[in-house]
Amino acid sequence: MKVLVMNAGSSSLKYQLYDMRDETVLASGRVERIGMDSSIVTHEVPGHPEVRDVSEILDHVTAVKRVADMIVHPSHGVLKDIKEIDAVGHRVVHGGEVFKESVLVTQEVKLEIRKLFDLAPLHNPAHMMGITAVEANLPDVPQAVVFDTAFHQTMPQTAYLYPIPTVLYRRHKIRRYGFHGTSHHYVSDQAAEVLGKPLASIKMISCHIGNGASITAIQGGKSVDTSMGLTPLEGLMMGTRSGDLDPAIVPFTMNKEELTLSEVNSMLNKHSGLLAISGISSDMREIVQAMDEGDRNAQLAFDMYTYRMRKYIGAYAAAMNGVDAIVFTAGVGENSERLRAAVCKGLTFLGVELDTFLNSEHSKSARIISTADSKVQVLVVPTNEELLIARDTYKLVKEQSNK
Amino acid sequence: MTVRKVGVVGIGTMGQGIAEMLAYKGLEVLVIEESSEKMAHAIEMIEHSLDKQIEKWALTQAEKKLVLNRIHTADKLSDMAQCELVIETITEDLNNKIKVFEEIDQYCSPDVILASNTSTLSLTELASATKYPERVIGLHFIHPVSKIDLVEIVRGLKTSEDTFNRTKHFVEEIIQKKGIMVFESPGFVTSRLICLHINEALHVLEEGVATADDIDRAMRVGYSFQYGPFEMADRFGLDSVLAALEIMFREYGELKYRPSIVLKKMVRAGHLGVKTGVGFFKYDKDGDRL
Repeated sequence: MKVLVMNAGSSSLKYQLYDMRDETVLASGRVERIGMDSSIVTHEVPGHPEVRDVSEILDHVTAVKRVADMIVHPSHGVLKDIKEIDAVGHRVVHGGEVFKESVLVTQEVKLEIRKLFDLAPLHNPAHMMGITAVEANLPDVPQAVVFDTAFHQTMPQTAYLYPIPTVLYRRHKIRRYGFHGTSHHYVSDQAAEVLGKPLASIKMISCHIGNGASITAIQGGKSVDTSMGLTPLEGLMMGTRSGDLDPAIVPFTMNKEELTLSEVNSMLNKHSGLLAISGISSDMREIVQAMDEGDRNAQLAFDMYTYRMRKYIGAYAAAMNGVDAIVFTAGVGENSERLRAAVCKGLTFLGVELDTFLNSEHSKSARIISTADSKVQVLVVPTNEELLIARDTYKLVKEQSNK
Repeated sequence: MTVRKVGVVGIGTMGQGIAEMLAYKGLEVLVIEESSEKMAHAIEMIEHSLDKQIEKWALTQAEKKLVLNRIHTADKLSDMAQCELVIETITEDLNNKIKVFEEIDQYCSPDVILASNTSTLSLTELASATKYPERVIGLHFIHPVSKIDLVEIVRGLKTSEDTFNRTKHFVEEIIQKKGIMVFESPGFVTSRLICLHINEALHVLEEGVATADDIDRAMRVGYSFQYGPFEMADRFGLDSVLAALEIMFREYGELKYRPSIVLKKMVRAGHLGVKTGVGFFKYDKDGDRL
């Protein structure tokens, strides 16, 4: 069974082709600059050099067609016939309150995704274009959608409601949704496997620390709280996003600086976080380097970043009345031993004891980095959202064909 | 048909705003101006405007680069043949505009929409200079273009339904502004109402009823205008306000459109508002009030 995983953006499209018999990646790639006369398709087959092709790709339908052409290409293709693809799985950012798990695409599902355009105006319309483009190119292939928000739908009302007039929740569905759900879900499964314990018995805090960052409290395999909210702006300090702040700062600043709504939005999303405090970069590697060279602002940015992470871990340990495992994942979480060390240093009261040697080891596999005596296990688990999308898609399509 | 490349003919204050807004929305923009000095100045002004937005956190350096990369300069009108839509935005002079329309009409294939940003002149008259008058339409943007989400879509006598529908789609779906349909008439809706508002404020000032500052404050605080009539006129350019009033006075023949003497005097003195640093009030290089 071959599953194509797709992540469609407004002017880009990323894909992976999986052979689900052994979960290997047969090919992967991306289409960039869709809508231009010089769009770039980059296609890679493991063990072979990357292939690049520049041509005019004006819409997603053509983009998917080019991807299909690459996959069956006589020299760098991996399939003889595009009909060998059994299913396509899409990443969709916002599933609202309707989608609590991955589903097969139907007319009703498409309608619901459309209804959610309001909540994810930058993402959901692009995902929809991806879905219709696959329909146009591969009309008989079943498609599934996997939502970034679905994993967090298990949160109780106490966690997902905001203490503001409830009419806003009823009218506009203003509540906490949380994001990176696919990643938190995937790493929690992996972590339980590494720990050799049933997920149901573990209180876990997973830290997805990349360009965007979120922390999730996972009890018995279910998300019970997460740091991102209605939008991905809430929670941790991030590369260019502010994360939590006093909401009164927004009208106060708008008034003082005569800012419009879109200006203040852009300020909080693109001009804040590590970039704002360090004045150097939004990239943690560059922050650490500058810090080592004695840059005080970089040091401050790093300290604020890790301090805010620690506060969330403390809060979620309290929310679950304890914690058995802390998991680090995504770009920064997987690669920055400095960040992990700084966060864990102040968590000894919880019984966290980091093994400095294990923490400094570089590896691509899921592993424990706390000492044997540590009361709380600390893990690094590389995330793989695409694989989870492929697995969900495979499962859904198989279930349907068994019916 | 989707629009990917838009031509902008004439790149003064409005042309700059239109080109910058189109590029910000992700469209390729081809601009043309009569001299290379004017062109260089215009590009500099667009950069300056983007820098001001970065200061206000509205843009990032990377986004500024992307916007500028989408603005290309042309050196002859025939280059406009590459565009799916051409917007003319030269100064409000009927004869010059007619010349431009005559020329681009020859270069652009008949399905290309030719739009004018005129606020007071007759679309029908401009269209009559072309072989395909049904593809001529008015697109009246309001200054500052990047912030004001309203466009008057103006139908001349011969503008076709198809041209109107495609233009409306462009305005509402591609550049995401509100489009209102107006039929050709001097000043349309916005210029007609706002110029009368400014002209009446000038009469109030002339009669010594209140100071310019107080008149502005009254309208700003009392009726939620962002700027009072005088600062508004300074920002439009007093010469443009005068030109609009004169055209409307001529066309309608009604006294209420007759430009105030104070306005004429200030234009003659070269006090044109923000662009010369002095009008009813004084402004710095960035256009902020001193």
